Amino acid sequence: MNSALTLTGVRKSFGATEIIRGVDLEIRDGERHAIIGPNGAGKSTLYNLISGRFPPSAGGIHLYDTDITNKKAFEINRLGLTRSFQVTNIFARMSVLDNVRCGCLFALGHRYAWWKLVGRLRDLNDRTVLILKDIGLWGKRDLPAGLLSYADQRALELGIAVAGGANVILLDEPTAGMSHSEIEQAVSLIRRISEGKTLVIVEHDMGVVFDLADRISVLVYGEIIATGSPSEIRSSAAVQEAYLGTGAS
Amino acid sequence: MGRLAPWIGGAIVLIALPHVFSSGFALTLMSQIGLLIVFALAYNMLLGQGGMLSFGHAVYFGLAGYFTIHYLNFIYEEEVPYIPVTLIPLLGGLVGLFFGILIGYVSTRRAGTTFAMISLGFGEMVTALTLVLVAIFNGEDGIQTDRVIGEELFGVTYGPNIEVYYLIAGWCLLCTLAMFLLTRTPFGRISNAVRDNPERVEFIGYSSQRIRWLAFSLSSFFAGIAGALHAVNIEHVGFEQVSVLQSGLVLFMVYIGGTASFVGPIIGATLLYFLQSTLTGVTEAWVLYLGVMFVAVIMFFPGGLAGLITMHQPIWRVHARLLAPLLIPYTRFFAALVASVLGCIGLIEMLYFRSSRLSTETELVIYGIESDPFSAVPWIVFTGIAVAGGFAVRKTLPSAVSAWNTAIADARTLPRG
Repeated sequence: MNSALTLTGVRKSFGATEIIRGVDLEIRDGERHAIIGPNGAGKSTLYNLISGRFPPSAGGIHLYDTDITNKKAFEINRLGLTRSFQVTNIFARMSVLDNVRCGCLFALGHRYAWWKLVGRLRDLNDRTVLILKDIGLWGKRDLPAGLLSYADQRALELGIAVAGGANVILLDEPTAGMSHSEIEQAVSLIRRISEGKTLVIVEHDMGVVFDLADRISVLVYGEIIATGSPSEIRSSAAVQEAYLGTGAS
Repeated sequence: MGRLAPWIGGAIVLIALPHVFSSGFALTLMSQIGLLIVFALAYNMLLGQGGMLSFGHAVYFGLAGYFTIHYLNFIYEEEVPYIPVTLIPLLGGLVGLFFGILIGYVSTRRAGTTFAMISLGFGEMVTALTLVLVAIFNGEDGIQTDRVIGEELFGVTYGPNIEVYYLIAGWCLLCTLAMFLLTRTPFGRISNAVRDNPERVEFIGYSSQRIRWLAFSLSSFFAGIAGALHAVNIEHVGFEQVSVLQSGLVLFMVYIGGTASFVGPIIGATLLYFLQSTLTGVTEAWVLYLGVMFVAVIMFFPGGLAGLITMHQPIWRVHARLLAPLLIPYTRFFAALVASVLGCIGLIEMLYFRSSRLSTETELVIYGIESDPFSAVPWIVFTGIAVAGGFAVRKTLPSAVSAWNTAIADARTLPRG
C-alpha cells in the first residue's frame, strides 16, 4: 500500500532532553490516522517536526516519495501538507473572509502577485465562498476573526488549513475545549473536509478518536508503543497499561 | 461609481486648494504636505500593513532626494540624458527601490525588535555617510539645485511654486491610488497576514521573510518618490532628510494619524506638518507638544485619529441620526479637554519663557493676552484653568463613553437602513 507520510527513526532533542526518541510511523494514503498519548508524550513536537516548524535531530521524513526532513514549513506546505494548531492560530485583525482567502492564495497560484486585485480573482473568491459555507462561517465573513467565538475560531482554523486543498491534513486537537454539541459539529466537519484525503489527528477525546480513525498510533514518552485498528488498540495490553489504564476516559 | 467618489473628490480638492489658499507660504506648505502624505503612506505599508516598525525609513526618502538633486544638476551640465522634471519622481522611486531591495534583503530577515534595531543601525550609518562622503553629500551643508531645467508640455517650467504644487498633487494622488490598490492584491492581503501572525503564514505556503522583503522594497519605492518630490520642491537636500529625526517624524505622523486605517497617515501627515510649520514660529515648546501628543495617542487612543473616526463607522452605517445623542456629551467632554489643554499650554509657555535665556522677546503674549511670567496672577489663572479642566474631563468622560456604548448597541439591534 502507498504511504502518504513515512517517518523513520525520527529523533528530536532540546538541549539534553530528548523529546522524540526514535519514531517510526507510516501513514497510509487516504486513511484517517489518530495519534494519542498522555500529555507531554511529544505529540505536538512530532507535528512540528513533520510540518517543518523545526528540523529533527536525526531520522528521515518522507511525504509520498519526497524527502521533507530538512525542508522549511512553507516548502512542505507547497508539496501538499497542511496543518492546524492546538492553540488557535488565525489572522486576528483580518476579516474571516480574508483569513480563508489567505489560505487559498498560494495554492491557487497567485503567490506574491501585487498586480492583480483579490476582488477580481474569480477562482479565489469561488473557493473562499465554498470553504466559508462548509465551515459554517459564511454569515460572519465580514467580522474580524479575533472577535469570533472560540468554537468559530476553531472552525476558521480548520478552514484556513484546508483552504489550499492539501492532500495530507494534520490536525492538532481540533476539538480541545469544545462543548459536547460543538464537538459533534466539529467531527462532522472534519469528516467532510478530509473526504478523499489523508488525515492525521492528535486528539484527547477518545470518543472522537474511535469515531473518526481508521488506525490509531499510541505515543508515550517520545516513542510509538502501538499502532493498529481501533479494536486492536482498545484490547492491547501495552496500551492499557501505559495510557488507557491511567485515568483516561 | 461609489468607490470612485472619494478619488474624484480628492482630485477636486487638490485642484481647488491653491485657489483658496494662494499665498506663497500656503503653496509651499501644501506641496510639502502632499509629498509627506506619500512618505507617510509608504511608511504605513511597513508599520500598519506589514507590522514592521522601522526607525530608519528616511534613508530611502533622503537618498532619492540626494540623487534627484545630483541628476538635475547633471542635466543642467548636459552630462546625463534629459528627463523632464515631471517624470523625475519616478527616477527617485527607482533609487528608493534599489536601496530598499539592497538593505531590505538584510533587515527583513527578522521581524519585530531585530528588524527595528537593524533599521535604526542603517539609519545612523547612512546619516554618518552623508557627513563623511563630502564629495557626494557635501556634509552638513547638503546639496542644492535649480529645478528649472527647460520647458515641458504646455510651457510648464516648474519655476513658479504653483506648478510645483500641481506636480506634487498629481504624484500624490497617483501614489495614493497605487498604494490603496496594493492593499487589495494578494501581496497586500498576505502582508496583513504576516503582520497578524507571521508564524501561521509559513504553513499556508508563504515565506514571511519574502513578503517582508517585498513590502519593504515597494515601500522604499514610494518613499523614494516622496524624496524626489521634496528635492524638487525645496531644491535642497541635506543630512536631515536621511536622519533618524526624519524617520521619527514620519513614525509620529503615521502613528498619530492611525496605523490601522488607510487614511490615517494622510490625516497624520497633514495635521503634524501643518502644526509644525505654523507653531515653530510661535512657540519654542513645539517639540514638547509633539511628544505629549504622541504619548497621549499611544496611551489613550492607540487607533490614532483615524481610529476615533472609524469607531463611529458602525453607527453611521446604520443611520446617521444615531449620532445625534452623542453631540451633547461629546461637546461637554471636548470643551473640558480644550480648557485643560489650554491651561497646561499657558503654564508650559511661561516655564519656557522663564527658563530660556535665548529668548530675545521681552514680553510673553499668550492667547492674545500679555502674561507676565514673573508675577503670580497668570500662574494662578492658568493653573486654575488646567486643574478645573482636568476635573471636568474626568467628570464628562464617563457620559461620553456611555453615549458611545448606547449608540453602538442601538446600531447593532437596528437593521441597516
